[in-house]
Amino acid sequence: MKLALPKLDARRADWLITAALAIATMAWLLAVEGRQGFGRDEGQYFRAGERYWGWFEELGSNLAHGELTRSFSAGSIDRYWSDNAPDHPVIMKTLYGLSWRAFHRCHCTGPTRGLHPIPVKGRHVTLPLFERESTAFRFPAIIFAALLVAMVYRFARGWLSRPPAAAAAVLTLAQPHYFFHAPISCFDAPITTMAFAVGFAYWKSLRSPRWGIAAGVLFGLSLGVKHNAWLMPIFLVGHYLWMRRGDLRARRFPRPPLAFVAMLVLGPIIFYAHWPWLWNSPVARTRAYVNRHLQHEHYNFEYLGINWNNPPTTTARKLLRSTAPFVETGLTVPVTTLALAAVGIAVLVRRRRGQPMVDGGPGEGPVAGDGRPSWVRPGADVDRAPGAFMLVQTLGPLAVLAVPSTPIFGGVKHFMTAMPYLAVLAGIGVARLLPVLAGVLPAGRARLLRAAPVVFAALVCLPAVVETRRSHPDGLSHYNLLAGGFAGGASLGMNRQFWGYSVLPMMDAINRDEPENRAMYWHDVIHDALNMYKRDGRLALDVGDTGFGEDGLRRSQVGILFYEKHWAIYEGWFWDSYGTTKPFMVREREGVPLVTMYRRGAP
Amino acid sequence: MENAPSRLTTRAGLAVLAAVSLLALVETASAIVAPYRAPTDADWRAAAGAIRAGFRPGDLIVAAPAWADSILRTHLGDLIPVEVAGRLDDERFPRVWEVSQRGARDAAARRGAVAEERRFGALTVRRVERDPEPVRYDFVARWSDARVSRRGAAGASVDCPPVGDRAQCPGAGDNFVRRQIVEVDTRLRVALLAPPASQATTVVEYPDVPLGRTLVVATGLSNVWMRKAAAGTVDLRVFVGGAEAASFTTANDDGWVVRRIDTSARAGQVAAVRFEITSAAPQSRQFALAAEARR
Repeated sequence: MKLALPKLDARRADWLITAALAIATMAWLLAVEGRQGFGRDEGQYFRAGERYWGWFEELGSNLAHGELTRSFSAGSIDRYWSDNAPDHPVIMKTLYGLSWRAFHRCHCTGPTRGLHPIPVKGRHVTLPLFERESTAFRFPAIIFAALLVAMVYRFARGWLSRPPAAAAAVLTLAQPHYFFHAPISCFDAPITTMAFAVGFAYWKSLRSPRWGIAAGVLFGLSLGVKHNAWLMPIFLVGHYLWMRRGDLRARRFPRPPLAFVAMLVLGPIIFYAHWPWLWNSPVARTRAYVNRHLQHEHYNFEYLGINWNNPPTTTARKLLRSTAPFVETGLTVPVTTLALAAVGIAVLVRRRRGQPMVDGGPGEGPVAGDGRPSWVRPGADVDRAPGAFMLVQTLGPLAVLAVPSTPIFGGVKHFMTAMPYLAVLAGIGVARLLPVLAGVLPAGRARLLRAAPVVFAALVCLPAVVETRRSHPDGLSHYNLLAGGFAGGASLGMNRQFWGYSVLPMMDAINRDEPENRAMYWHDVIHDALNMYKRDGRLALDVGDTGFGEDGLRRSQVGILFYEKHWAIYEGWFWDSYGTTKPFMVREREGVPLVTMYRRGAP
Repeated sequence: MENAPSRLTTRAGLAVLAAVSLLALVETASAIVAPYRAPTDADWRAAAGAIRAGFRPGDLIVAAPAWADSILRTHLGDLIPVEVAGRLDDERFPRVWEVSQRGARDAAARRGAVAEERRFGALTVRRVERDPEPVRYDFVARWSDARVSRRGAAGASVDCPPVGDRAQCPGAGDNFVRRQIVEVDTRLRVALLAPPASQATTVVEYPDVPLGRTLVVATGLSNVWMRKAAAGTVDLRVFVGGAEAASFTTANDDGWVVRRIDTSARAGQVAAVRFEITSAAPQSRQFALAAEARR
């Protein structure tokens, strides 16, 4: 008997694929996030998110007692919302806190009760979706990653058939460095989602007024996610001026489009509204926030064997430093993805105004109408210049990080907003090669011809997926085929890791250690992260923390050291204090050391 | 599937299609195979066993690439004391054991002849024998021989007497000289740490040094945070038997610079060697110095 499958119309089929991609993204990330430890920043955001939840908890209590205004007093706001201010706005941290409150399995009144940043008043009633508290914190980030993958598919579908559009979506996720950032309670993956959302909304706003308003709302939300939202309008203005270069040639200034007006109006309103910490002193605190990032210090970061922690001063160093985002992209993104993106770039370069992106695809030229420019549909009377759009969205973030005076301590994450667009370029490359593939297949084999695009899209996604799986949970240490993997990256002097996340696989050994080795020096693992490891049940409660720096190390019986070029001085302290150069244990990936453990008095 | 006009079946298109497909297969295969190319713990244990069996005091053991050094020390760290790990350079060692992976070579094993080479899984152990530069006098190891003083701008000199682990100059707490494991250019060295004094010269004098043909002097600025915080340079003047033999300036980006002073005219003699350290901008300058009289 033949099973009769319901026929889907094209629209429903696309939504089905969109949902499948999003669900698969969430499933993959949820399946593996537990192997990835907590970095310094994530530990702080766990703490801040839970503290922000404390404000909501108090708000509920005040509401119940008819004292709602108490929650909006300066003291009450600052008590909760000063955490991690002025560093970062609070949309994601608030979502992390709310997700934790809603979805964790509460062991909160047990022995870990004192490890929370706010008092635990009693057992939390929750929907216990996740065994670990940290997973509940991370869940919103995972949803944002799923949204990005879904959006990339929808965006690419505007130009491409389903297999290359789906390939673009998969290649967005299947990048080891993006994948590392995707599930964690930080902002870099979420702002990548928001940057894509703003770009997508702007793109659609060129021919649809309602998307102009949406662009403004999304931009405001982006401002509440991370400060690199500030750059988004610059890239979009660049595209807009190019798209409307006919106006400039005619010596008339292009009308500001609805999207920019909405961003200008709604952006600041949403930004101020979302962040209670600003409410008490808007101007001074906004200035403090802006200055925090305009004057951000240069943390240490290894690039091509050099430890960078100051703006370069010589011409040679400036030139070398300016290559960082391009070289890092070239050595971290799967090579097949890069090759396909190169094909996609060639397609865009060869495309002529008014032509479709790929043969048989929808046109990009002016749409039917009266042909007059309109500020609410400013892309209706002209070619939307997709090549320029992809150029500014891909190269823009890299170009900013190529400025030698810009700190580069985040590596790929600082220009990760370019990566979804790079994946779309790869999707365009796939689409360009499909007719070539069709040309070499036997013309009469209809089933083969139908299957070939799917098979080819799967084939080109395979290395990225396998490489990403290989990299986990040490995506920051991973480099691509060109570099030679983990070992090749180390030999090239590329940054191996940061912020002390990579200790997690050593926890079992630490927990099994003798009772006299509980005085532990944790190097770059901050106390908030240790608390979460204990709350998750992954670190024994009696393992101590002897504190920071040389003094903490000298008080310890056991200690760890994360490999980063600038931490060498700490290893000297171990040699001196422990009286040996012999580590007790080294955690490595494919032979490349990540964490070194010393034990005092070990043979 | 997209429409397929005839121009799309050009040779260039086919070549790109074939290249991308092949690349995808190669990259996938590489990602699957590469983890198995890394040395295993058993490889390291076997290599360490072989080195232990042939090790002699005074041998140097190195990892190639150098980033595998901490794994090497996990297995053989008891044969790599702090003084060896933080050596001035590699020239004093007559035999070098190199534990290599992925075809890498260490600079310490480049000079000399390979006397033995064995493979242990993904690791290759080579024993390289070469003509060493015997050390007649190690200024860091003989630190207790030194007399430290500070000479002011007007020429007046004050002694910096031994206080605990250091020679402490009077007045300024950060004007001292001591033997220490220092970090220079993100690598550890055993050296004399001598932060320069403000508007004064720190003098470190060894009265009776048996000279050889060469005086090797290495300098650098220690502490990554101090290098980040300041940019001043440090000047070093070296006097042998009362006569200035050399002077060097050390800056942030110089790293650990090893310089050779020809003392062949005085080889076999005993003479005073004096180091004079000054800086016009001494803030946050953690000057590190090591020296050896050789042959």
